[in-house]
Amino acid sequence: MIDKNPISLRYRDKGNVHMDFHGATNTTINFIIEKYGIETMNDIFKKVGNDVYADIKKHIQSGNINMLAEHWQHFFDREGADFSISIKENEIILTVKRCTAYEHVKKLVGKVSPNFCDQTIKTNEAIAEGTPYEIKTEILGEASCKQIIRKRL
Amino acid sequence: MIPSDHFTRFYNEVFKFLEKQGEEDLKKYWLEISKNQEKHTLELFKEKGLQGMYEYWDHIRIEENCDLDLKLEEDNLELKMNVCPSLSKVLDNDAEPMKRYCDHCAGWIGPIMDKVGYHLVYDVIDRNQPRCVVKIFKDKKKALEEEKNARLLMDWPGKK
Repeated sequence: MIDKNPISLRYRDKGNVHMDFHGATNTTINFIIEKYGIETMNDIFKKVGNDVYADIKKHIQSGNINMLAEHWQHFFDREGADFSISIKENEIILTVKRCTAYEHVKKLVGKVSPNFCDQTIKTNEAIAEGTPYEIKTEILGEASCKQIIRKRL
Repeated sequence: MIPSDHFTRFYNEVFKFLEKQGEEDLKKYWLEISKNQEKHTLELFKEKGLQGMYEYWDHIRIEENCDLDLKLEEDNLELKMNVCPSLSKVLDNDAEPMKRYCDHCAGWIGPIMDKVGYHLVYDVIDRNQPRCVVKIFKDKKKALEEEKNARLLMDWPGKK
């Protein structure tokens, strides 16, 4: 069972949600890739994973992967996504059936960057990097993915 | 997904990268964001002027959870940001804040104001504090007069 109002999260936003920020993320991804290349964009996501989410990383490092589940629960709830989280020992699976971030960008600009989901894939990889766990992101289709954190083999 | 709640912390990482590339790189990005924001603002500002700007920022005030006072006068609109959620989040961050984070705001708003024929006076006051005062005028003379009162006046690419 995941606490829907966790007090332990480093960033625990409240109030309204400004979904248009996802449009600015999409613009940024296109801008950075066009001017500096995909490796630069991935490096920025890596910084987000390592530095912005340093607290989640620290918890994963010490074996507390539930912190990532709490993060997912809190923020996917806030964004009104259709998702589920399955928790097993040493493995947590987030299944996003309908990603409202992707859908919102599609509504705003029509065409979502083909690299839009890299923000998830690369940030997840960076959060797990150097820990006993890996986070894999599988794109299931448009606005749908599965994110799995499990112990490295 | 980087939650929309955390966009400003992502933004901060983008700014830090671009600042290392040079001032022009940063300005080109602000202009790109400005073009992105035109979708939400340009027609409204052209059609309704100061009233349209009031409507836009009143919506932002609510949706972005800003502690913001809006004052619409006949010849100007004042936005008094008491607590800016954007800089507040960047300061409340395990990653290092970009020292000139505030500059992006004038960097995207300024070019739009230039396009619609209004004059922006952006007083950031202090880049380390999440507050600022923005005044928008139709009359350039009044804007220039107001600039004299600014404590830390912001600039933007191609300022008219």
